[in-house]
Amino acid sequence: MKSNKRGKDFCIFALPGMFCFFAVVIVPFIYGVYLTLTDWNGVAKVKNFIGLKNFGGVMKDTQFWTSLLLTFKYVIAVVILVNLIAFIIAYLLTRGIKGQNFFRAGFFTPNLIGGIVLGYIWQFVFSRVFVSVGESTGWNLFGVSWLSDPTKAFIALVAVSVWQLSGYMILIYVAGFMGLSEDVMEAASIDGATGWRKMKSIVMPLMMSSVTICLFLTLSRAFMVYDVNLSLTAGAPYGTTEMAAMHVYEKAFTSRQFGLGQAEALLLFIIVACISGIQVYLTKRKEVEA
Amino acid sequence: MRKKAAARFIVLGLAGVLSASMLTGCRFGFASDPDDPNEAKKEEPIDTSVDTYPYDSSLEGTEITLLNSKAEIQVALDKMGAEYEKKSGVHVEVMPVTDGDSPYTKVVSLYNSGNPPTMAILDTTDVVALAGEKALDLSGEPWIGEAPGYVTEIDGKVYSLPLCIEGRGIIYNKSVIEKTLGEAFDPASIQTQEAFAKLLDRLVDAGMEKPVSLAKEDWSLGAHQLQYIYETYDGTSEGAQQVIEEIKDGKLDLETYGRMDQFTDMFDILKQYNVAKGNPLGADYDEMAIDLADGKTAFWFNGNWAWPNIAEAGAESDDPYGFLPYYMNNDENDFANSRIQASPSKQVMVDGQYADAKQQAAAKDFLKWIVYSETGQQMLVKTCNLIPPFQNNPYEPLDPLSRDIYEKMRKDEVFNASAIVPNDHWAVLGAAMQKYLADRSDREELTAAVQDYWAEQE
Repeated sequence: MKSNKRGKDFCIFALPGMFCFFAVVIVPFIYGVYLTLTDWNGVAKVKNFIGLKNFGGVMKDTQFWTSLLLTFKYVIAVVILVNLIAFIIAYLLTRGIKGQNFFRAGFFTPNLIGGIVLGYIWQFVFSRVFVSVGESTGWNLFGVSWLSDPTKAFIALVAVSVWQLSGYMILIYVAGFMGLSEDVMEAASIDGATGWRKMKSIVMPLMMSSVTICLFLTLSRAFMVYDVNLSLTAGAPYGTTEMAAMHVYEKAFTSRQFGLGQAEALLLFIIVACISGIQVYLTKRKEVEA
Repeated sequence: MRKKAAARFIVLGLAGVLSASMLTGCRFGFASDPDDPNEAKKEEPIDTSVDTYPYDSSLEGTEITLLNSKAEIQVALDKMGAEYEKKSGVHVEVMPVTDGDSPYTKVVSLYNSGNPPTMAILDTTDVVALAGEKALDLSGEPWIGEAPGYVTEIDGKVYSLPLCIEGRGIIYNKSVIEKTLGEAFDPASIQTQEAFAKLLDRLVDAGMEKPVSLAKEDWSLGAHQLQYIYETYDGTSEGAQQVIEEIKDGKLDLETYGRMDQFTDMFDILKQYNVAKGNPLGADYDEMAIDLADGKTAFWFNGNWAWPNIAEAGAESDDPYGFLPYYMNNDENDFANSRIQASPSKQVMVDGQYADAKQQAAAKDFLKWIVYSETGQQMLVKTCNLIPPFQNNPYEPLDPLSRDIYEKMRKDEVFNASAIVPNDHWAVLGAAMQKYLADRSDREELTAAVQDYWAEQE
């Protein structure tokens, strides 16, 4: 009798969700894995099974490894900067200064603009506004468009991503700071903890759950960056700012090598899954209860 | 208290910077959008009083779709479809390929979702890729006879209608050259690389600092410029194909292939007189059109599709603009130095896999209507502003660049060669060309990049 009811509950509550999950996540994923074993060009009726040849192709695709290395550099820069800036601003915005709600909303706004629009706006800023500022002031820094130099274009990409992502993370950190127990803070103050000591020994451990979420979100978002990459630099100058996700897309659709592109996508997935998994495991261990 | 004030100051400052940059971004970004397709433009009136086209009443009520990959004619195609529907009762839905999507990607995703367009406007390479499995065989269509030399055959069959001729070369602004030099300018008098360089020198001496605009876009560098090395082999598509096969098979060494060196010679000249020489990869496409129209430069390497940009920059359709060839060497008898490249670039393919017989018949009829009806002929030239490849179309293009190509076609001063290259050719080798343009690589490296690219192709 009991198990019968359980079965009914499962059908009512879990089945629809599971069906959707299977239909839009699991099935396409398995189909994708299957595609890596074929030589499909994206349109042909027949898909020839070619075994692991595509993975051999991944090894030979030097451009993929270059773009993956660049993605790693980008991820490191973005994750550190976003979390540092977001943490500091969130800290400042929870200290009761005047108009802090207005500032919270203000910092969050860039996150509401889609990556594509944002990229185009900043492309204009970098290649026109900054250049004309450089022309009228004579500053060498803005003399030529940042987007035409590989290093500066990379910096531009990081800057825009940080600008966009920080707002979201600020929100999460603000929520974390608001949740800190006043009692604990007061107790720490009575015990004589101030400044850095209080931050390191009391605030940080209590904030670790927010840090876990923020690190995970920035990590996965930075690894999968595509929209800002496409609209801000599109890989220019001469393909030096092409990130892994963009390279995968180009391989599949522009070079018409679906199998190879899919194999690279799978590899990227495994790398991101492993790194985020390790990160969550490590930061979770540091979480404490108040 | 002081700490609080400092915190507030920092937060205020940061917020100020962020919101200021956002505001300026918005204002500049949206106000200067030059390619608004909905913008009202002067329109040529279409005379629909005479219409002898035999409409097929059995097709009435059929609904067909057309995927358009030429954004600038979206509005014009809508009008064409509406006009055709009025007469034939067939509804033509024109679907645009949105910005950022490649036409091929779009059509492939539509095929994979089982909902492809009845007709699709595609590049020749895309048609070649889709022909065997998806496209309808159009070999029996009557318009093939109206476009001799411009129809693409794949394994002896025709799968697409050539919609328009497009040509490219070095666009000149004649009035600016004449004003700067103080004498009449005859484009036909320049027949060698040397003569062209001399003309550039004279312009510089006369006060025009850098007379050439050179686009940094990879499609311009990788497709439109670099492809001269294949297309000038003998000036035919077959020749281009042959040279590509030879490079692929390793039979032809680019190091010793004359056209490669000649091409880089010419590119070096353009590079040297480039208005954006200080920062060639920062060159702005819209600014190049403005520079040419304003007379800051006299030349711009591009094709007749650039006219809307030049017109937007202030040029009038009776201004004397035209094309110079892409000079390959100093031999006056070399065809490459006296002819410009012009070939059918956009092709209309009909779906042969999903469309039913009635839809296929309606699609074929629509194509025939474009070629044979008085209204279709006019609209192709006047509304879409295209150069018709069909000899029975009596209407002449209206803008000076298209008109120049049209006249050169009549005078046999064009060569019709288009190289069929893999889809990523422009992107991969465009990057190699950008590197060369920015002086970050030398001739050997560029040649090696081309060679490597072909070695990787199967």
